[in-house]
Formats: sequence, C-alpha cells, structure tokens
Amino acid sequence: MTDVAIGTGEAVVFWILGPVALAGALGMVFSRNAVHSALWLVTTMLSLGVFYVVQSAPFLGAVQIIVYTGAIMILFLFVLMLVGRDSSDSVVETLRGQRVAATVLGVGFAGLVGAGIARATRDTGIEGLGDAGGTGNIETIAGVLFTRYLLAFEVTSALLITAAVGAMVLAHIEREPGSRQTQKELSRARFLTDRPQTLPGPGVFARANSVATGALLPDGRTAEDSLATGIEPREVEQMPRPTGRAQLGSPDAALGTTDEPR
Amino acid sequence: MTIEAPDLSLAALAPLLFVFGAACIGVLVEAFGPRDSRHPVQVAVALVGTLGGLVTTVLLAGTREVTAGGALAVDGAGLFLQATIAGLGALSLLLFAERNLDPARSAFVVSAAVPAGSVRDRELLTVQRVQTEVYPLATFAIGGMMLFVTANDLLVMFVALEVLSLPLYLISGLARRRRLLSQEAAVKYFLLGSFASAFFLYGVALVYGATGTVRLAGVREAVAGAEGGTLVVLGLALLVVGLLFKASVAPFHTWTPDVYQGAPTPVTAFMAACTKVAAFGAILRLLYVAFGTEEWTWRPLVYGVAIVSMVIGAVLGLTQTDLKRMLAYSSVAHAGFLLTGVLGLPATGDAAGSGLPAVMFYLLAYGLTTLGAFAVLTLVRSGEGEATHLSQWAGLAQRSPLTAAVMSLFLLALAGIPLTSGFTGKFAVFRAAIEDGAWPLALVALLASAVAAFFYLRVIVLMYFSEPAVDGPTVGVPGLPTTIVLAVTAAATLLLGIVPGAVLGLADRAAIFVG
Repeated sequence: MTDVAIGTGEAVVFWILGPVALAGALGMVFSRNAVHSALWLVTTMLSLGVFYVVQSAPFLGAVQIIVYTGAIMILFLFVLMLVGRDSSDSVVETLRGQRVAATVLGVGFAGLVGAGIARATRDTGIEGLGDAGGTGNIETIAGVLFTRYLLAFEVTSALLITAAVGAMVLAHIEREPGSRQTQKELSRARFLTDRPQTLPGPGVFARANSVATGALLPDGRTAEDSLATGIEPREVEQMPRPTGRAQLGSPDAALGTTDEPR
Repeated sequence: MTIEAPDLSLAALAPLLFVFGAACIGVLVEAFGPRDSRHPVQVAVALVGTLGGLVTTVLLAGTREVTAGGALAVDGAGLFLQATIAGLGALSLLLFAERNLDPARSAFVVSAAVPAGSVRDRELLTVQRVQTEVYPLATFAIGGMMLFVTANDLLVMFVALEVLSLPLYLISGLARRRRLLSQEAAVKYFLLGSFASAFFLYGVALVYGATGTVRLAGVREAVAGAEGGTLVVLGLALLVVGLLFKASVAPFHTWTPDVYQGAPTPVTAFMAACTKVAAFGAILRLLYVAFGTEEWTWRPLVYGVAIVSMVIGAVLGLTQTDLKRMLAYSSVAHAGFLLTGVLGLPATGDAAGSGLPAVMFYLLAYGLTTLGAFAVLTLVRSGEGEATHLSQWAGLAQRSPLTAAVMSLFLLALAGIPLTSGFTGKFAVFRAAIEDGAWPLALVALLASAVAAFFYLRVIVLMYFSEPAVDGPTVGVPGLPTTIVLAVTAAATLLLGIVPGAVLGLADRAAIFVG
C-alpha cells in the first residue's frame, strides 16, 4: 500500500457532508415526530453514500443509496404511515430517574468508546484501497462474496426465510373457509334492513366536521345514526336561527316567527 | 478475473445441511401441505432434521477440519456442542409437540395474528389447530445455534447469532394462554436482543479495524503480534457483551426472567437449554481461539462477571414466588458457574487444560436437567393453564408422588447435590478454576451454590411437607412426547451423576479447537 494524500475535493466533501451526516443522526434521535426522524436518517444515509463513493467504493455507495435510502427507508415510512403518523411515545417515566440514568450512562459509554477509538486511530496513516478500489471494486466484492464469505452469504438466506415466515405468522389471519361473505350476500343483507342506503356522515351541515359531531337533519335535529359508536358526541353550537326583524326583513316579519310570540 | 471455488466439505457441513434442510422443507409443508395433516408432518420433518444432525455429528467424531473457505471450524469441541444442541433441540421439539396436557391441545396459539382478547381469539381458544410454523422456526434456531458453535469467523458468528435469535423472538410470543404476557416477553426479548446484537456487530467492526481480518485465527495472529492495542480491547469487550447477553449472564440478564416467564414453557425449555449451550460455545471459541493470547485482557472481565452473575442469580432467585422466574434466575446463576469453568481455559496453544471439557460437560448436564425441570412444569396445571406459583405446588407429592419425585431429582441436580449430574458438572468447573489459581472465585461459587440450593430445596420441602391446597392444581397425564423427554432427561441426570466417566472422557477427548 502506498501513502495517499487526501485531495482538496475529498476534503471539501468531507467537511461539508460530515456535519450534515452528524446533524442527521442527532436529528433522528431528537425528533419527536417519527416521520421527521426517518427523514433525518435519510439525510445521514445519503451523506454516507457519498462518502463511500468519494473513498473510491462506488458500488458500496450506490448500494447504500439504493438499498438503504431507496428501499429500507421507504419501508420505514410505509410502516410509520400504517401505524399512524400521530402515534407518539409516551413521555411519562415509568421508572423514576430512568431517563437521567440512561442519559448519563449513554453519554459515558459514547465517551469511553469514542475516546478509545480516537486514541487507537490517532496515528494511523492514510492508505488507499489500491487494486481493490476503482474499477476492480465490484469484481473484488463478488470474488470475496462467493469465496471467503460464501457461508455467511448462504446462511443469510435462512435469516430472510425466517423474517418472511415471521411476518406471515404475526400479520396474516387465515380466514375460515366460507366465513367471508360475498358482495352479493352483503348487499342482500343490507336491503333486508330498514336502511339500505349508506349512513349519513358525521358533521354534515353542522358547524364542525369532527367525527364526534352529529350530522344535522334539514329540520335542525341531530341525526343519531351519523354518530360513530364508541365516541362521545360533542355538542356543537348551532347557527343562530333566524329571529327578529333585522335578519328576516319585513315580509317574514308579517308572518311572525315560531320562537317567541310578540 | 477468475474466481476459484472455495473448498466446501459436504461431510463437515452435513449436520448443518440436515437441520437447515429440514427447516426449509418445513416452510414448504406450511405453504403446500393440507391443513389437517400439517402438525404430524411438521413434527416428523423437524425431528428427522435434528436427529439427522445429531447422527451426522456423531459420525463425524474425530474430524478436525476448517472448511467453507475457512469460515467453519469442524473440530472436537464444535462437534460435541453441535451434538448437544441437536439432541437437546430434538427433545425440545418433542415438548413442542405435546398435545395431551392442555384441554386446548397445545401450548401454542392457533393464530398469532388474531388480537389477544378479541372475540375471535376467544372462539379460537378451544380450536385444536396450532400455528405449525413454530416447528420450522425452531429448526432454523437450532441450525443457527449449531453454526454459532462452529463459526470460525466473526462475520459468520454474527449471522449465526441472528439466525438463532430471530426465530426465538418469534416463538416466544406464540403462547396460547396469557397471550399478552407472551407478546410482551417477545417484544422485550426482541428489543434487548437487537441491542445486544448491535454491540456484537460494533465489536466485530472494531476488531476488524484493528486486525484487518474477521477470521478467528487471523485475529489471534494479529493480536499476538501486538497490533491494535486499545481497539482490540474495545472490540473484545463489545463482542463479549453481545455474547454474555445471549448466555443471560448478569448484568446482561434483565430480559431473562420476563422472557422465561412469558414464553410458552416448551420454548422456555428450549431457550434455557440450547441457547445457553450455543452462547457458551461461541464464548469459548472466541476467547480461546481468537483471544487466547490476550488472556489477561478478558480474564478480569470474566472473573468479575462470573461473580456478579452467581450472586445476582442466587440472591434474586431466593425472592421469587413464580417457578418459571425462579428457574430463570437459576439459569443466571448457572451461567456464572459456567464462567468459572471458562476461566480455567489454558493460555497455551494446546488444549490440555481442564476448563474446556468441564464447561462442555456442564453444558450438557445443565441442558438436560433444565429441560426436564421445565417439562415437569408443563404437567402441573390449573384452570388457567400452567400453575407456576410456588404456593400452588404445596403438597404436590400427595397428589402425584411420581411428578414430585422427578421434579425433586431435577431440582437436586440444579442444586448440585452428589449423585446427580449437577454435582459432577460443578465439581468439574470448580476444579478447573482452582487448578488455574482462581480459588477465590471457586469459593464465591461454592457460597452461591449453597444459597441457590436453599431455593431449590424450598420447593422440595413445599412439595413433600405441606398440606395440599383444596383448590390446588391438577397433574396432567403426559402424552408420549413429554414422557420420552422426562424419561431421557431424568435418566441422563442420574447417569451423569453416578457414572459420568464415559461422558467426561468423551468431553476430554473432544476438547480441541482448530482454526
């Protein structure tokens, strides 16, 4: 191996993207919102991908960007959206003093490992990748993958099978044969009830569109069947009903109002 | 560029191929097999796989070979531990297959995806179907463990660690009764387990950074050449943390009681027996093959951790009122006893010291005994499932003398009373520690054994000298699988206690690492 000097371009890339990667990692940890966390992590991974390319490992850089940011992070976001963007961790401490202890221990551990690595790598010289880098990159990886790391590579398939089977076990509900009604049966059943049409949605004609607000019927009453079960209905202030001369003008005034006799 | 094919000795790989093959066939059966015949077929496939693995390891006895491009070290110690894992795994699978005890026919849930406590869940409670995926998953875990103890490469070791962990996380959450507890156990195990795996991986990265290789032999050479320094020490510490977690050694044991209690009892038995063997196999190989020359780096660490583990296991075991939790703390204490044997490893290149065979023998004896103890736990049931509270075991001897006698045997063996396998094992590891000059450690171990013996004997006293409760639990009549497990484990516990010579000799001859 020969000594390699770090070029200006590489140094510039490092000093720009290094802080970005670090900020992404910190942002990922400290964001309250899970989606923001995921996006911060994307930033970090993209920066790492660029680092790999700059350090003459283009294949690794491309894989980092395609697989991590492209596939895995998108899966993360999928899961977050399925679980619900609003669901957040409870900030109540169940064990007293746990957060302080965790912070102290975590920072201490990071300091220990960081100092150890800094000490150990302080005087390490810079070495290029030599033949392994550059154009030989992909071939070298292929060679190592199918010779020295063949067993690890093959056994990883067991891991993937386990993951797939596990996902099926935890998420797939087998239906009893015949337990699922067809469209035809469902629609027949619906027309046998008193109300074949759809139920009114909540909040129709009312002043709020929350699910807790009942729809209003034309005569101003609340439509009870528009309320979802299990939700406490919310009383919403109604529009003021037209009363008095100012709103109604004279012809209506001649007819009188129902509210209060004059 | 031409690539030369790596040397693959199919004979040396045969045990692994058997087990992983059976697991893959099991997955296919799950996909295409008719639902009614799935259970017996899955049991048969899994048993053929593990027993095939056992037989091939026995046939391979005496092999000393590094194969698969240097990633796999098939040697005496590796084969002995592989055989132990395959045998204990087959026995655990028999426990999985038991269908006579629970009125609902199995310890496993019908459909794991149905939310616990829902209407559908209550409907399914009495259905006799089972989530039969547990068999291929458990077989994958066994395969991962067998690979773990023969991995000659930190990377393969990490992959094997994941292969053995992932199925365990899953099957811990599949209990038929007390499902929320079981799912909580699975989540805890998963979160803490991935955390520990991350430690291990970080350690691999640091060791690679320091030595430029992940091969254990390469690491040994580089370390002996005094390269690396701080980085190697940091990496070694992180690697050991990851492994000690799997071996449930205190202070990395916090998951053990909760997971042991929540998981279905057959799975707990499987974890207690097989995971322990696999984790200690890897610890031995790592410390001895890769860091054997760096002995004075890890020796104080193991020394301290062994003491902490024995004390925590023995003292906290005293305070438990649930038998499964008590056995969990007992497993923490036993992990400490095993570490005293690990200290007895010789520092020299040849495997002449008595630490390695002692630990191997202890693992076999402890695995069989603990498997039997958990099998007895599945027999004693109340209306809500297994009766694991201590008070429910009062006066059990009057209700079922045989069950109480078998349980007493296992508890005496765990306590290390003479004429049981536990005594032979403890004697071997303590002797190894003393020969190596670690007599203070052996003294602590003896005291911890005495404390631990108290809580084992308390159960025996409770079973024999208490009046049975009026509404106490019933003792189920086990079907053929559990009967086989109980017979084998009880016989082995006695035989390894009375005539341990043959197995001790076998362990002595097998105690060789290549790599």
